[in-house]
Amino acid sequence: MIRSAFWFMIWSSTAFACDVTGQRMNSEVQNAPEVYLSVDEIPLARPFSVLVSICSETAVGQMRVDATMPAHRHGMNYTPKVTALGGGAFRVDDMLFHMPGLWELQVYVDINGQSIFYSSEITLK
Amino acid sequence: MTLWFTAALIALTGAVRAEVLLSADEIEQALSFGPWPPSFHTDPSNRVSNNARAIALGEALFNDPVLSVDGAFSCASCHDPEQAFTTPEARALGRVLLDRNTPSLRNLAGLRWYGWGGKSDNLWAASLHPIIEEQEMAHSPESLKTAMSESAYINDFEAIFGVIQNQGPELVLVNAAKALSAYLGTLVTDRTQFDDFRDALERRDFPAAAYYPEAAQRGLQLFLGRGNCVFCHNGPRFSNNEFHDAGVPYFLNETEVDEGRFSGLNFLLSSPYTLEGDWNDDPDRQGAWAVRNVRRSHADFGTFRTPSLRGVAETAPYMHDGSLKDLNAVVRHYSKINTERLHADGEAILSQLNLSEQEIADLVAFLMTLSKAPY
Repeated sequence: MIRSAFWFMIWSSTAFACDVTGQRMNSEVQNAPEVYLSVDEIPLARPFSVLVSICSETAVGQMRVDATMPAHRHGMNYTPKVTALGGGAFRVDDMLFHMPGLWELQVYVDINGQSIFYSSEITLK
Repeated sequence: MTLWFTAALIALTGAVRAEVLLSADEIEQALSFGPWPPSFHTDPSNRVSNNARAIALGEALFNDPVLSVDGAFSCASCHDPEQAFTTPEARALGRVLLDRNTPSLRNLAGLRWYGWGGKSDNLWAASLHPIIEEQEMAHSPESLKTAMSESAYINDFEAIFGVIQNQGPELVLVNAAKALSAYLGTLVTDRTQFDDFRDALERRDFPAAAYYPEAAQRGLQLFLGRGNCVFCHNGPRFSNNEFHDAGVPYFLNETEVDEGRFSGLNFLLSSPYTLEGDWNDDPDRQGAWAVRNVRRSHADFGTFRTPSLRGVAETAPYMHDGSLKDLNAVVRHYSKINTERLHADGEAILSQLNLSEQEIADLVAFLMTLSKAPY
């Protein structure tokens, strides 16, 4: 059975023209480009994919994705596969959340030689 | 909010008033443990996985000592079909006393990992390794080819896989393992009292659901709630099929340890028999993402694959080393778990539950309903 994922994030409009869908990821870096996360459903203990869209006028370098369960002190057992789609969009495959509970999805984006950290909290029931 | 769905089960006689005790959220979680049985899917990595002749050959080989180098024992010697495809011994007895409990072989189709340490990512590889393991069947590919050629199964083997003399010994080994795997993939546990309860909940048929014993319902509530069992035992198989430290000692003796997933990954990543390897029949390499992307960590040391709880009442003793004799002992283990045994920097999941005697009995009552009657 597919489990539902509930997103505890603040919806926000984009700062400039960036034709993306999904929910905005959090960053503590001031004036950081907006990053949006799009995912249909997250099945428990089975692989899923997400789409990460980076709204930056500057070319985006590498992008890395990971996830942890802060309360359990562990992360994913697999390294996700990131594929650049162009235009600041990335498809991330082979994500797997093997336990229900609160996960923190983490994205590191290289822009202008700086690695910027973004996160989103996802509760998987 | 807890919703109490009261069903006038035997309203006509007025003898008993039964209830569904679960909250709406608990009911939603209970539905995730089904439906059962799962639909059958052909294993794309094994071209004979849905071949009736291969399934029959696999069953015959499973029960015949031809797969051990000296004819000393068969797969069924340790995985006894009359005993839920395991045996009551704590640790398996091959040519020597092995380090781990014999796992049951039911509900294996389509898993991501096989074995306590996950050293295989597919069922035919999991079937192959015991044939050539020195402490188990002890065949070499060459001796197996000779044994198969001289066996009563040669006609069936050649009808399925072609002329054996045209096959190298390793191909014969892989083909024999794929026939075994075709059979093992058909082994599924029966529906249970829990499945009737779960399906009744899905239909919103609460009078029917209320036939499920209240003790088992209370046990399920603990399983989903304070017990945190569902963290690892989830989905229709009651297993996330990943690896965890359950607080069971992994010392084999004063100088040796069972490395669990740590050694399982070492084995897997050097094996030619993975979904990423040349023996996979699937050109699309479905499922190979896991062996390609799996992470290695020092925290893998001493972790073991979460066992399914389907049919669990039939497979005592328990844990990777068979050290707990019955389900009562398992629940008591988690209730008073020695957290000093857990990895200092491992998962922070387990803590002492300090269950009451009633709660222990309820959890056991729930677990018993995951097996076929009689409970």
